[in-house]
Amino acid sequence: MNVIGLDLGHTTTVEAEHWLAHLPPVLGLVACTHFGAGRVLITLDGLDPSRLPPETGVAGPEGAAAEAVRQHADGTGGRAVRYPGVESLVGSLRVDEVLAGTAIERVLVMGLPDRPEAAPDAILDTRAFVRPQWMDGRLTLLTMPTPDGHIAPFEVPNPTPCCAFH
Amino acid sequence: MGPGPHPHSHDHEHEHHDHLHGTPAVVDMSIPDAELSPNDVSRRRFLRGAGVLGAAGAAAAAASAFATPGVAMANDDDHDHGPFGRSWAGHTRRNGYLWLAGDHHIHTQYSNDAQYRVIDHVQHANAYGLDWMVITDHGSVAHAKIGVDKVNPDIVAARGEIDDTLVFQGLEWNIPGAEHGTVFVHPGPSEVAVLKEFENTYDGVVVGATASNPTNEALAVAGVHFLADAVSNKRVKDALFLANHPARKGIDSPHEIRAWRDADPRIAIGMEGAPGHQAAGLVNGAASARGFYDFSPSADSFPGYPAESYRTWGGFDWMTSTVGGLWDSLLAEGKAWWVTANSDSHQVYADIAVRPTPTGDFNANGRYDDPVYGGGALATTNGDFWPGFYSRTHVGASDFSYAAVMAGLRAGRVWVDHGRLIDSIDVKVRTGGSWVTLGDTLVARRGSSVQLVVTIDLASGPNWAQFIPVLSRVDVIRGAVTGPVANKDSFTTPDTKVVQSVEVTKKSGQVTFTYDLGSLDEGFYVRLRGTDGKRQAPGLMGPAVDPVGPAMDLPGNADPWTDLWFYTNPIWVLPHK
Repeated sequence: MNVIGLDLGHTTTVEAEHWLAHLPPVLGLVACTHFGAGRVLITLDGLDPSRLPPETGVAGPEGAAAEAVRQHADGTGGRAVRYPGVESLVGSLRVDEVLAGTAIERVLVMGLPDRPEAAPDAILDTRAFVRPQWMDGRLTLLTMPTPDGHIAPFEVPNPTPCCAFH
Repeated sequence: MGPGPHPHSHDHEHEHHDHLHGTPAVVDMSIPDAELSPNDVSRRRFLRGAGVLGAAGAAAAAASAFATPGVAMANDDDHDHGPFGRSWAGHTRRNGYLWLAGDHHIHTQYSNDAQYRVIDHVQHANAYGLDWMVITDHGSVAHAKIGVDKVNPDIVAARGEIDDTLVFQGLEWNIPGAEHGTVFVHPGPSEVAVLKEFENTYDGVVVGATASNPTNEALAVAGVHFLADAVSNKRVKDALFLANHPARKGIDSPHEIRAWRDADPRIAIGMEGAPGHQAAGLVNGAASARGFYDFSPSADSFPGYPAESYRTWGGFDWMTSTVGGLWDSLLAEGKAWWVTANSDSHQVYADIAVRPTPTGDFNANGRYDDPVYGGGALATTNGDFWPGFYSRTHVGASDFSYAAVMAGLRAGRVWVDHGRLIDSIDVKVRTGGSWVTLGDTLVARRGSSVQLVVTIDLASGPNWAQFIPVLSRVDVIRGAVTGPVANKDSFTTPDTKVVQSVEVTKKSGQVTFTYDLGSLDEGFYVRLRGTDGKRQAPGLMGPAVDPVGPAMDLPGNADPWTDLWFYTNPIWVLPHK
């Protein structure tokens, strides 16, 4: 299946994820967000364009969305929002369960220069918000240690809100 | 006392006190000590000790020479405090400089996410030992229209009330296309006018220019030029800009930082090496990230920054904490770019004050109503410390004056610490009988023998968490000066690394060491870093570059009191052409 790119004018991942949530359930779909040209772009691997909402323009071979398509296809960029098994990522799970049950191919722990892989029996606190990225051709989840010795995704579901200046 | 008179001030001060205010109480010996404020009592004691005041009968000359800075500032003026700088007890000159602790990032009730009065911050900062501070409320429509004016009388009043902490007015600039930054000016009759015009013209939120694009980036550069012009045209005596929490959201790209700096290095002088909000990662607090560094990339982020850049490391911003990283890439170019450490105090961890209910109409009034006692509940989800409580920026100043603090910052005679890790540090790079200190450049003949000489006064007393910090190790970081980079988005440099680590075994007193920098060949710089040694990890560029650097701070698990660091700014050594 080819990867298709969409440039829908979203400026935040929240907007793009809201749009993605309304796509029909499709077995094997990998839907990613990308950043480019100051916008959030979407790539879809595994969705027939005929199943897109009416009048959703698919990006051509030029521009930021086309670059996003290349990254997704090469496995060098893209932050996966919908991917096989994502619905199972709630609560706390062993890393080997995550690797076995989802499209995530590896789990890395930040904080050291070489980002070592998480131990298979490490516990991932999913916070029901798990956004792996395409890196080195593999769908990779970056994590950080938590206070109770688990790991949790680098990306937090509710960062300091944008309305707080700080 | 300071080394000599400011030639322009004496007559003016004299005039003030004789004709506008009469004799200050401190030198009016008809007023007994018991009726003076504690500050004035200590000042009178100081003047007596200095032989200026007799047992009775004040000399008119003394009245003018030792005018209270607050009185002078309230009515003047673009002057500091009188003809002489002053050395308050507790500040010993080192190599001719007073090292004055300060904080250039503080929010008051004139910020829509903060709550305290100006005087709340000033009296806390003063009690916690700060010599200078900058009030930096957020640029916003309400601030540009109302707050920037209304905060000024509060600042002027605070200057009058607290005379041994210098209080600058500034603002926290929403840098067009980028993060926030501190902008502040020397006090004077036009301080508000200049800040207000700046904010209305160049603040990204006020003018709708927050998105990352070339037009907005150009507006930021124009803002730096505006400040430079305001100084050149003598509208204000001085102005400075520093980038705040630069790596937090990944939106200060390397080329933007270089563009600000290159626009005018007299104005754009540096960045927060350590952000504020240092209590935000406490386990029992907000359980968020230290510094509130809990973001991930957005559409406005520079795509080259790694995920690691969005978190703090030993409380410091990734741009500064990474040996061989962004800061070093600027220093290796030979660019003066200094780091600071500040509180960013909005709402203090475990404080008992809250905004009133109702809060008052911020947009209509430009501020919230004064804070009130909250009934005794500790606000443990607040993430900040009071100014001076945890983060300090130490500036080598020629005297105790607004102008000297700004000049010292511009010169990079600056080191920073957390939690009072050390009392002081004296850094010299010398060849033969010549030496320079922080921020300076030693130029010598090729082949000259060059040494680094460091003297540290270990913590002599408890910090504000009531323990005496223990310095464990000092690292010497050395980098080659490789010259201008072709790629303005460079954020690494290959030839900078930790070259020496000195274990500290003494628990008190003074530590001195000399490190041989060898025979001068190509230009280089050195900077220092020290730690309590409680949390460390190999640096992001690998253990060969930084074997035991600061560790990444973990959200909800970052106790700032058990992970203390100090950093100095660099000294360059260059051969003659």
